[in-house]
Amino acid sequence: MSSRRVARSGGPDALLPPLSRRALLAGAGAALAAAVTGCGRSAASSPAALHVGAVPDQDPDVLQRLHGTVADAVSGALDLEVEYTPVTDYAAAVSLFRTGDLDLVWFGGLTGVQARLQTPGAEPVAQRDIDRAFTSVFVVNTGTGLAPSDDLTALAPLRFTYGSETSTSGRLMPAWFLREAGVDPQGFPGGPGFSGSHDATLALVASGSYQAGVLNSQVWRSRTEEGAVDPAVVRYAESPPYADYHWLLGPQAAARTGVPDLRDRLADFFTGLPPGDPVLELFGASAFVPARASDHDRIEEIGRDLGLVS
Amino acid sequence: MTLLLDRPTRPATPPLRRDRRRWAWGLGAAAVLVWSLAGAGLFGADVLNPGGTAQFGRFAAAALDPAIDAAFLGLLARSALVTVAYAAAGTALALALGAVGALLVSRTTWGRRRAGWLAARGLLAVPRGLHEAVWGLLLVTLLGLDPWVGVLAIGLPYGAVTAKVVADLVDEVPRGAYRALRAAGAGRTAAALYGLLPPAAGGLLSHAFYRLECAVRSAVVLGMVGAGGLGYQLALSFASLRWEEVWSAVYALALLCLLAEVAGRAVRRRLAAPPPSARRDPVLTAAVVGTVVLVGWSCWYLALAPAALVSERTVAQLGSVLAAAWPPATDGDLLRTIGALAVDTVQMSVIALAVALPGAVLLAGPAARPAGDSSPGRRVAGTLVRAGLLLLRAVPPPVWALVLLFVLLPGVLPGALALGVYTLGVLGRLAAEATEELDPRPRTALTALGARPAGAWLYGVLPLAAGPVLVHALHRWEVAIRDTVLVGLLGAGGLGALLASELATFDWAAVTTVLAAVVVLTWVVDLVSDRARAALR
Amino acid sequence: MRYGGTTALAGVDLEVSPGERVALVGASGAGKSTLLALANGSVPPTSGAVRVLGADPAALSGRDRRRLWARVGTVHQALELVGRLRVVHNVNAGRLADWSAARAAWSLVHPQGLPEALAALDEVGLADRAFERTERLSGGQRQRVAIARLLVQQPDLVLADEPASALDPVLADRALTLLGELATARGGALLVALHDPGLVRRHCDRVVGLAGGRVVLDAPVAALSAADLAGLYGAAT
Repeated sequence: MSSRRVARSGGPDALLPPLSRRALLAGAGAALAAAVTGCGRSAASSPAALHVGAVPDQDPDVLQRLHGTVADAVSGALDLEVEYTPVTDYAAAVSLFRTGDLDLVWFGGLTGVQARLQTPGAEPVAQRDIDRAFTSVFVVNTGTGLAPSDDLTALAPLRFTYGSETSTSGRLMPAWFLREAGVDPQGFPGGPGFSGSHDATLALVASGSYQAGVLNSQVWRSRTEEGAVDPAVVRYAESPPYADYHWLLGPQAAARTGVPDLRDRLADFFTGLPPGDPVLELFGASAFVPARASDHDRIEEIGRDLGLVS
Repeated sequence: MTLLLDRPTRPATPPLRRDRRRWAWGLGAAAVLVWSLAGAGLFGADVLNPGGTAQFGRFAAAALDPAIDAAFLGLLARSALVTVAYAAAGTALALALGAVGALLVSRTTWGRRRAGWLAARGLLAVPRGLHEAVWGLLLVTLLGLDPWVGVLAIGLPYGAVTAKVVADLVDEVPRGAYRALRAAGAGRTAAALYGLLPPAAGGLLSHAFYRLECAVRSAVVLGMVGAGGLGYQLALSFASLRWEEVWSAVYALALLCLLAEVAGRAVRRRLAAPPPSARRDPVLTAAVVGTVVLVGWSCWYLALAPAALVSERTVAQLGSVLAAAWPPATDGDLLRTIGALAVDTVQMSVIALAVALPGAVLLAGPAARPAGDSSPGRRVAGTLVRAGLLLLRAVPPPVWALVLLFVLLPGVLPGALALGVYTLGVLGRLAAEATEELDPRPRTALTALGARPAGAWLYGVLPLAAGPVLVHALHRWEVAIRDTVLVGLLGAGGLGALLASELATFDWAAVTTVLAAVVVLTWVVDLVSDRARAALR
Repeated sequence: MRYGGTTALAGVDLEVSPGERVALVGASGAGKSTLLALANGSVPPTSGAVRVLGADPAALSGRDRRRLWARVGTVHQALELVGRLRVVHNVNAGRLADWSAARAAWSLVHPQGLPEALAALDEVGLADRAFERTERLSGGQRQRVAIARLLVQQPDLVLADEPASALDPVLADRALTLLGELATARGGALLVALHDPGLVRRHCDRVVGLAGGRVVLDAPVAALSAADLAGLYGAAT
């Protein structure tokens, strides 16, 4: 089970966060939900609570465990009330972060940049050790007869699919590396596809409808270990490393929760997690390290270049 | 006794004259279909991908092996409550908006002032032209995590549709009673209340229940894009391709649709043939009371608070989005892309309809419940066809698009077929219902003179059903245009895909332009199908 | 032909011989339409037996039963017509027992058997309306179209449910003459529900009175005086 981790940057083929807080409460027990909240949203949630969000880019059962664990851990360490909201897509998470519905969000590289640009005063808090040097894996269908290589130009004449449109590891960085290699990232025959998720990319390449695709290397490894990868899909190349996922804190959170040094305390909490902590286990990391806005300057630049950041 | 008709000279038989308008529309439709199929590459390169049958098979096989562990089923049951709550609250809002809107767009209101009527109709094309999912995406940027997002996303577009339907129903009521009341000195409103509303009430109630069933499916699509409930669970399982869980969610959704359909059916039956008693019909009373209770519970369950709609934050967000969205982007590249994608969108919708309409016409017969007694084999066949249609529309279009892409090469076709099978599910049901409501006597008479079943169907059912089914089909064509947003991202996506990517990159000026294009396209399609309806009448 | 049933009818035992022209009379709801429906097979008897043209339809299956019904023609006050179809198609529907599905379908595009259909329409005085939509015709004209359908069907047994209710006296006589000739020309019989005593006297030779689902009268027309007949209708209405 531990091989299933917070690993996929794309998220499902979905664009909004779940809007019903009630739905989540119902998860804890419908009766409790009915008893706790009888009126409007703002009245029902504690004004001082820290609203934490993350994209459900791992399997649903992991997600269910994830929010309890993370919320409890943060709540215990900071002595704060914490409400956790899984969000079905990064773009929606960006909007919710801007509106102030979410204070602390686990973003991908690109969406973190989008959120920061739309929300002045937002600050990165921490990232996983592996996020400093994240990679994407280019995969091809065996029918193409391509042998593993670092030469991305061989992909140009193939039907090619990315993952989710604003995924960092499934779209942005692969598109950048393709362009660096002299391949037009939008110029694949018939135009590139956007499968919506890393698993969908694997299935589509396995079917041969798309001859090649690209996905998050962590998902690739995890699925390989599980033996869940169709033998028709083989690894073709792995991208150079880049910075990806990180926790981003909204500007209004400190004042609202009444904790002036909230960012530092959160950073201390994440970086201070001992090896083997359940939170680290869920995130598939051995440690969290501090994150700075400058870590993602290159992503911002590339995003602007590819027209994904405006 | 010699009897002669008073025909001194035998009149010449007039030549068979074909209705030119109908032929023109028929040929035009055929030409557009061929153009669309050519655009989808059907006459060119390969479109099939036999290598993907294993992937498709995995999806299909999971239908027989859905996830049934208690924890997951419990999760689905709780999610279903959210879906029902959104559907009920959204429908209630739609009916309220529809009632007000109907006043605005009814010919009765405008009388001879045709320009005002046209303008009001044009205004309605705006909320109608945007898919519920698009409304959801736009509203979440204004309202954040508020449950109003889901309710408004269903209520606004459905309200516009309801307004149009109600206005048409009221306009079709014979004017006699209304004029008599006006002549007797009653005000417009009073005259409409007493003279127009009662005759239209049956149609209105029936439409309300139809909307409820549609709203359940819309709530699931909204859930897929984030509003929680069944659609959210479905999206999670779909993203990791856990087909067993996807099917469980689909079956749960099918069950909800079935409940709404059965309730609507009971109400329609009662309206069509009220029991011969002066007292209130208990079934109808229960339906109305039950609906009111359901809506009240939904508002409470979702914790809807009107204050959230006018909060300071909402106003501020609206201001900032509007500032970013105006003026619309007008650069040549974008406009050219929009033009090309509008063509894709139209071609997708035409192919979808070309799949759905013949399928619906052929399946309507078996799917319709026969009026009298029927053989057990016939009943089993009918149930199977109805269940099949229910599943076709319970599997959301994005899921169809992905699994069809396993066996088809990327392009317009997988998305078009995905919309086609989904629309077949909806249209097949509507066509079956239209068939059930037909006058059975012509067909009975043909059977009684020894006609084969096919002949009896051709001469006794098809000509009668063609009108209502075509009206439904033309309406679904408009819906299919909007639904392209759901199947767009893979291969050729049409305007919907472009809209989704502009929203993902927060390019509000471009969003405005694409939205305007979608609305104009919807409006044009509405106009064309209105003309087609008139020609076929 | 023998009818015995207990639906809206009870204890009816009626036999019509070849060559007979029988008038069914009785108040609305007396069971006339049910009796006709039993005779043409659109309603099966819940109990009892129906024999039509010497055969038991319940014992036949599929094609044989269709062949039997092809020999029974019915006129139902024009309610069996489809308003949206052209007149000629509604007439041609009388031949569906003979036509294959493909021919039936093609005929909707390019009318088949046109001479016969036009001749039948000519008989009822509607040849000039052959290609009009049936819904544009008046009630009386539609009744005549329904009769034209029977003319192309050429049945042995003719059943009619008030076939002249919307026709003027001259046309009503013409219509009943056509139906009577059609039935007797092939050695068949005519069973017709009628309200007009005059028509009964002129076109039928036997009267069967129904009330409350039972046969209350069965006598030759000749045995009834004009006053008897009028009284029968007076009682019936």
